[in-house]
Amino acid sequence: MGKNTDPKSISRRHFLKKSSWIAAGITVASFGAYRVVRANMPALPTFDDPGATDGLTWVQALNDGRIRFFCPRMEMGQGAGLGLSQVVAEELNIDQSDIDCILPDTDQTPPFQMTVGSQSIAHFFDPVSWAAAQLREALRRLAAQKSGLPVDQIKDGRAGFSLPDGTTVGYDALVPAAPVVVSGDQLVPDDALLRHALNGTDRHQAIGQSWRHPELKSIVTGQMTYARDVSIPDMAYGAVIYPPAFGAGFIKADTAKARAIPGIIGVEINKGDGFVGIVGIVADNPFVLADAIEALNVQWQVDENLNQTEIDARFDVEKIRADNDFDHTLLSSGDLAAGRQNARMRVAGRYDTPFMAHAAIEPRSGLAWVRDDKVEVWCGTQDSYFVQKRVAKIVGRKVDDVVVHTHRMGGGFGGRVPCQASEAAARLSATFNRPVRVQWDRETEFQNNYFQPRFSHYIDAGVTADGTISHWDHDVVSSSILTGLVPSFIGKVIDMAKADDGTVRGIIPQYTIPDRRIRYSAVRTPVPVNAWRGLGSAPNAFAIESMMDELAIKAGIDPLQFRLQNLPPDSDRLANVLRRVAEISGWGKPTLANTGHGLACAVYKDETAVAVVVDIQIDHTTREVRVTRVWCAQDCGLVLNPHQVESQIMGNIIWGCSMSLKEQITFAAGRVEQDNFHLYEPLRHASAPAVTVELVVPIDTAPSAVGEAALPPVPAAIANATFAATGRRNRRLPMTYENIFADTE
Amino acid sequence: MDIFINGSSVAVPEKLHDVTLLNFLRDFTGLTGTKFGCGIGLCGACTVHVDGVATRSCQTYVADIGDAQVTTIEGLAQTFSGGALHPIQQAWIDEGVPQCGYCQAGQIMTASALLRRNPDPTDTDIREEMNGNLCRCGIYDRIRRAITSAAQEL
Repeated sequence: MGKNTDPKSISRRHFLKKSSWIAAGITVASFGAYRVVRANMPALPTFDDPGATDGLTWVQALNDGRIRFFCPRMEMGQGAGLGLSQVVAEELNIDQSDIDCILPDTDQTPPFQMTVGSQSIAHFFDPVSWAAAQLREALRRLAAQKSGLPVDQIKDGRAGFSLPDGTTVGYDALVPAAPVVVSGDQLVPDDALLRHALNGTDRHQAIGQSWRHPELKSIVTGQMTYARDVSIPDMAYGAVIYPPAFGAGFIKADTAKARAIPGIIGVEINKGDGFVGIVGIVADNPFVLADAIEALNVQWQVDENLNQTEIDARFDVEKIRADNDFDHTLLSSGDLAAGRQNARMRVAGRYDTPFMAHAAIEPRSGLAWVRDDKVEVWCGTQDSYFVQKRVAKIVGRKVDDVVVHTHRMGGGFGGRVPCQASEAAARLSATFNRPVRVQWDRETEFQNNYFQPRFSHYIDAGVTADGTISHWDHDVVSSSILTGLVPSFIGKVIDMAKADDGTVRGIIPQYTIPDRRIRYSAVRTPVPVNAWRGLGSAPNAFAIESMMDELAIKAGIDPLQFRLQNLPPDSDRLANVLRRVAEISGWGKPTLANTGHGLACAVYKDETAVAVVVDIQIDHTTREVRVTRVWCAQDCGLVLNPHQVESQIMGNIIWGCSMSLKEQITFAAGRVEQDNFHLYEPLRHASAPAVTVELVVPIDTAPSAVGEAALPPVPAAIANATFAATGRRNRRLPMTYENIFADTE
Repeated sequence: MDIFINGSSVAVPEKLHDVTLLNFLRDFTGLTGTKFGCGIGLCGACTVHVDGVATRSCQTYVADIGDAQVTTIEGLAQTFSGGALHPIQQAWIDEGVPQCGYCQAGQIMTASALLRRNPDPTDTDIREEMNGNLCRCGIYDRIRRAITSAAQEL
């Protein structure tokens, strides 16, 4: 990061010039810090972490003294922009009302890392703080110039500075009329730069406050514009028909009949790219599209061989274990055989999780207008620069010709890195020379996006006479999330070369286990897989923390105590959240018949420590498993906005309950079986537990991941509670009543 | 044919008599606060009031509205009190309910219809009434708290 020799430095200067970005106010910008981005490679997502000085183009002081913050994170409800606004406000000594946080279009900032992986605060806190501090110091120098005083006599004041004579000068009086760009040797060296955000929490004025999101009012009054709500004059209405099964081949469509419907502008058949859809249709009004699609009567060649049994067979961890045929040994230490010898008791179990869907409530939508001068796209995406590159490729234009206007997403959860609807809209706009809107319906969303892959684990472990873990032999089969959308012939090579960090996220247990081995194999199937909330972390913690419970119970040790006594000495933060969640949940209290408590914990991305306790209730009359209460203690370091963090934790808990009890994607006759909420029904109000959250914040800790962090321990905690309530160990998601009591049916 | 939306009469073109109220609202009147989620009445994102009763606009046809008053999220506060915000909307802001916010228009329309019928709902009443409104961000706890606090305000 931050190589000064980087040729891309030219690009940043060019970017600022070309985009008139510096037209207003004062701005800080560095031209020496643009990292090597993969701009020359075809349409890859934007992976790179932000560089130390990337923040310089994000924060701007306007003539009226207001601060404009082009937030380098997309908004999907997680509120990262709000937390980062608080960092800006901290450095510039301003209130929430002084700052405008803007979701940038692709021509408003240089490319930034896609909004995934709970990285927004963890990765962007520092560069945003640094940039805002540089801007404050540039303003301080202007105040010194103006007053004729030395810089060190210009002290911080609210939204400005105070002078030795007791007068104050606001930012509005300092920002010059002509644009100013601060860069190069005007930047304060790091060791001399005052950083309010890095102060102790007791000295923060903006960080740590529960600012409410500025868009709440427009959301609750129906004024918020999601991508689906955008329209422009002369817009045409497009629809795209995707193959109904994996790899289905187009045979024919009755295009004449569809074209004959009044209002239909045209039909386009494109056999090239299944991701963009095969049959596109465009109308001058949206009301005739359904009839036209019916009239098209598209015929497909479908390979019906792929079904659930075949999929399950490919992920059969026991068979691969029997063949001793794993691609990757992720970890091997000590001597497994010797460890097994030390076991006083042993447990072996296989844990399975299904394919799952994102099921965000807003089905994706894109509006594109391909013109000679430029290409405009309006959409909601977790990576606007990826959409920009994809669209450029599809319509055969330069990336710089494409502008993506970004919108708040109606849920992301990893499912909106690409925006296939925008790609289809762009292609149709290019063909029919009109702005075209394409909106997916719920069926398209379920059947044509990518999924969380299936996981199959086998763990053989044991407990020694003194209550330590004797050995840990863990094998897992899943699919590479990283290469999930890459053509198979390339993907296979990459999968063999390296285990995907996303799939195996959280696979290493946090406990002291000298004798252990963890192996992994990636299976490729026709099912598209890619990022889903937390990637592998929840399926992996489900296996690990279920096994921990099984070991504790078999050894006759309380599951909380068993975890604590097996944590290495440097695990204070995890031990603290475990103790804390035990306290707030009343761990160890007696339970009624058909109810049970379950405990589990995880450390997300080696940084955020989370422990949860759940209470469940089995209702034999309605044949339901209900999670009635959840307690969560989380240590994610410095908390920028407690309300927002608590909301994220609540959301993760409900997501975890939903994936544990309700969700699975299955396959039959070559296709996904689920197409709407009657067949894939996320957890609803009536089944949602009350959630109690406690944030544990050690002093002087950096902020760490939040957006997915509380999810991993939830499924195991529910499985462990189910065992406590029923004496039945459920090792397969979803944990429906039928699955739990399968052998009694 | 005319229908009443947020207190105003809207002329429905002949060709649009048999489209859904949801599509009519979004693509003819430009009232996009009412959201599409599933198209089969299972997620509640498209909820509006028809004569004060929470109704799935994706399952209702324009021709079936007749003389009834349709209220959407855009007209909720005006229809209720002439004010800027309905107490439910205010409670949503005070409690900081929305995450992505996409389902919230439907949640608010269902909740406000509940309070109209039952000004003092129990936790069970709230759970049952709200059960048809999915929130994938999982902010059900805050929704329940906001409804309870709005009920106390009313």
